Amino acid sequence: MNPLTFAARRLGAALIILLILIATMFTLSHLSNTDPAHAYLGAGASKAAVAAERVKLGLNLPITTQFLHYVGNLLHGNLGVSYRTRNPVTQDLAEYLPATMELAFYAIILALLLGLALGIATAARWRGARILKFVMVSGASAPLFLLALLGILLFYGHLGWLPATGRTSIPNPPTGPTGFLTIDAILAGRFNVLLNALQHLIMPATVLAIGPAVSIGRVLRGSLVTVLREDYVRTARSKGLRDRAVLLRHALRNALGPALSMTGLQAGLLLAGDVVVEQIFAWPGIGYYAAQSIPVGDFPAISGVTLVLGLFYVLINALVDILQRVADPRVRA
Amino acid sequence: MIRVRPAGGAGRSLCTAALPATNGRAATGPVVGKVTDDHPNTRRTPTVTVGSGSLAAPRQRTGPVASVKDLSVTFRRNGRNLQALRGVTLDISSGEVLALVGESGSGKSVLGLTLLGLHPQKTTTIAGHVEVCGQDVTAAKPDTWRRLRRSSLGAVFQDPMTSLNPTMRIGRQIAEVAGSRAEGVRLLNAAGIPDAERRLASFPHELSGGLRQRVMLAMAIAGSPRLVIADEPTTALDVTVQAQILRLLRGLRDDLGMAILFITHDLGVASQLADRIAVLYGGRIMELGPASEILDAPAHPYTAGLLRSRLTLSTARQGPVGTLPGEPPDPTTPPAGCPFADRCALVLDRCNSEIPTPSTWTKSHDVACWRTGGVVGQEQGHATPWVDPAPAPGLAILLHDVAKSFKVRRGLRSQRIWSLRGVDLEIAPGEVVALVGESGSGKSTLLRAIAGLLEIDRGSIELGMTGSPQMVFQDAGASLTPWLSVATLLKERLAGSNAPAAGREERARAALRAVGLPQEVAAAKPRELSGGQRQRVALARAIVVPPPVLLCDEPTSALDVSLAATILNLVGQLRRDLSMAVLFVTHDLAVARVVADRVAIMYLGRIVEIGPVDEVVDRPRHPYTAALLASVPEPGRTLDAARGEPASPLDIPTGCAFEPRCDHASDACLTSDPVLELAGPPTVDPVRLAHKAACLHRLGSDLARAAGREAGREESR
Repeated sequence: MNPLTFAARRLGAALIILLILIATMFTLSHLSNTDPAHAYLGAGASKAAVAAERVKLGLNLPITTQFLHYVGNLLHGNLGVSYRTRNPVTQDLAEYLPATMELAFYAIILALLLGLALGIATAARWRGARILKFVMVSGASAPLFLLALLGILLFYGHLGWLPATGRTSIPNPPTGPTGFLTIDAILAGRFNVLLNALQHLIMPATVLAIGPAVSIGRVLRGSLVTVLREDYVRTARSKGLRDRAVLLRHALRNALGPALSMTGLQAGLLLAGDVVVEQIFAWPGIGYYAAQSIPVGDFPAISGVTLVLGLFYVLINALVDILQRVADPRVRA
Repeated sequence: MIRVRPAGGAGRSLCTAALPATNGRAATGPVVGKVTDDHPNTRRTPTVTVGSGSLAAPRQRTGPVASVKDLSVTFRRNGRNLQALRGVTLDISSGEVLALVGESGSGKSVLGLTLLGLHPQKTTTIAGHVEVCGQDVTAAKPDTWRRLRRSSLGAVFQDPMTSLNPTMRIGRQIAEVAGSRAEGVRLLNAAGIPDAERRLASFPHELSGGLRQRVMLAMAIAGSPRLVIADEPTTALDVTVQAQILRLLRGLRDDLGMAILFITHDLGVASQLADRIAVLYGGRIMELGPASEILDAPAHPYTAGLLRSRLTLSTARQGPVGTLPGEPPDPTTPPAGCPFADRCALVLDRCNSEIPTPSTWTKSHDVACWRTGGVVGQEQGHATPWVDPAPAPGLAILLHDVAKSFKVRRGLRSQRIWSLRGVDLEIAPGEVVALVGESGSGKSTLLRAIAGLLEIDRGSIELGMTGSPQMVFQDAGASLTPWLSVATLLKERLAGSNAPAAGREERARAALRAVGLPQEVAAAKPRELSGGQRQRVALARAIVVPPPVLLCDEPTSALDVSLAATILNLVGQLRRDLSMAVLFVTHDLAVARVVADRVAIMYLGRIVEIGPVDEVVDRPRHPYTAALLASVPEPGRTLDAARGEPASPLDIPTGCAFEPRCDHASDACLTSDPVLELAGPPTVDPVRLAHKAACLHRLGSDLARAAGREAGREESR
């Protein structure tokens, strides 16, 4: 199949998944006991004011019409107004999202790198593979919050190597244009900020990455062991290639498919863990934002966060599928 | 003609230089990378030509390039010791082709991998003495082996479909050993790959099987190795392509002067190439000598048995074919004496207790048998001819214009590939018809369509009698449910019939008896049985309710020669006892000749020739049939390979589909698509048995044979 056709189809499927997610969010918000009109006007509002607000918000319309309005608003980038901050949710998200994206980006990269290292080392039985496996599996078995707290105790409290909270401790960090502090710092030429931001990233990113890394590593090990028994690996050996060339040039690419799928799946779990990790490390991202919105039943904010995370998840998996086709020419044909 | 400029004289000349120091002490290793193609020697090497009429003087053939003494190789597998090789002593001389012949489990591939140093170190124990290229490598480190493989060894393996890296372009794979693009192109040219420059950008799956094996060969000869290990390099190929590859191997050896260890299960293939033949059985060498002596006058009963059970185009077919009863010994518990003792008709008392030491039979011909001198002329008595049942009226199978296509996606469009393009066939009750063709000919598709496993697009399939046809597949292991006992598998088929429950046990036992299996097998699970036994179980399952039609899909092609013969005899017996019509798919004309009454040759979804077996084999009228026949490797026969490979069913040539490969084609063949027409004697009764061919220039019998002989003579010149 043509790569473009495939990409188009895959994205089409992603859209359908998103639509289902939207419908679910809509249904949930209607099943809850929170009345948006009440929420906006506060507890002391008169009945007449509430009724007027209901008409204003379109809550008197039939439910199907309300859903169409909801989807229409979404398409226009209108996610409603947060009960709590009184700001449009889009505006809030724009403020919090870059921090989360930066953290998630580094966490996924780290998970991939650690996963590759674990998978290759255990499949090729490199020296030290067992120690690596022991450390990583122990890390992955511990609950996220415990790992995060232990990390803070050790590296911040005891050793004082790493900061414990926030994105940076330097005042007036650069604020544009990407929202990724590390990239903005480079663009602004402020390398002290870059260094500082990376120091702040290390702990939360590692805590987020370790679980996915072990899953990716295990899947990669499994497929590598299978591939290393293939005839073409024997051919590569018979040519007198070095073990490393056989492993990295011939075996790895053929074994990458399952590990890539796993990365896509794990990216979802990683986003789920993000909410916890942002809370502990006071990371000003949408996980932090969501954690503030949930106790007060701020539905527009919650559904905004959910949709954004869902969008991420779907896009990452679509990307993985496309990457797999790039990795294996036989599927392309 | 293929033009070759052997490069990398560096690697080999050094190795050769090291040779005089070989006697006894280990010479310093010839450690030269294959990537040294910019060595000054390369450019000065004169251009030579591969093929007949080579200009290259044969290289000096002195000293062994590899030798093993008293070699034993033991694998540790699932807590048991598997003794793959036991006390093998062998020299491979420089520039010779030594064929290592044996059945599965004989240890022939193990020896090849030992000489390449490719056994997993942790689970393999190697005892004895191994020397490659003058270097003692019995306990060599992985890195020593790696450098040796890089500089002096090459390898070609059985399955070209799986032996090339699917995600790497041909160009990169060959550059790993060739060092440069130009050298890569030169090697591909030497291996007879047309349009080599363009092929560099291809992925393996874009090439045909034959081309892929040529790529493997090109990689194996990079840097002019002193020894190429070729492990069943033609077994997975179509017979016409096999003939081409054998010819290429011979040409490369003549020009480059490397030694070849040619591992094969087929003495006929070995006969095409080998200077010497070593026959391996149960991990031991039974016989080792010049190819002609081994083939003409085998001194070991096992070799004689192998030759006898080998099917050829002249095997007597009036009765059961000669077989070699029994099965090879279990490598976990090897016998104390001769491994062949319990299958040997000439066994002596001491054979069971003492291992025969190799003794000299003639000069340069050793045999490991206590009965030296007593073997030759030990022929099996003539088998009693088959008794054919009286012909039954009517038809068992009637096919009319059967066509089948599959949808494949190609880019945005989906395309239909026509796997069957209009097949007519009539089979009488009790008659056996063999469907012969190369891969992609549609023979298996036709079988599955008759079995009702596929919907056809066009035409009609009528089965004359009640009862459903039964199928027997190539891989009996995969077609038997692994967790069910044999008895359950057999009784399962009786469940649908109206046989009384009490009689089912007895019916199952009777079926096992009919296929010659002991009753104990009933309790066994398929994995506890050998390949031959599993195929018998598959047959037993097919006949436990005698079917009117038995459909066999290459049931013998995964089996060793001796087992294949017994299965064919069994099919011959059963079809006569049960008056079954049999449609037998095979790629092997020698098998078809023995098992069938009539043979239908298929090419790209059509029957191109059909007729009584003897008619078709002795007087082929279609050039394709003639080409198939000329490709069958047999001792003392020079192969005449057809050009090219079967066209893809995706892209069937217009006019006659065989025209692009045909030596007899005329302009008319480009446009007119011939149909089956009478090619033999006009008066045949019944008409079904007539000899027909779909060719504008149906070969006259005399004409075709003369042409074949002429080609053969030219080849040997």
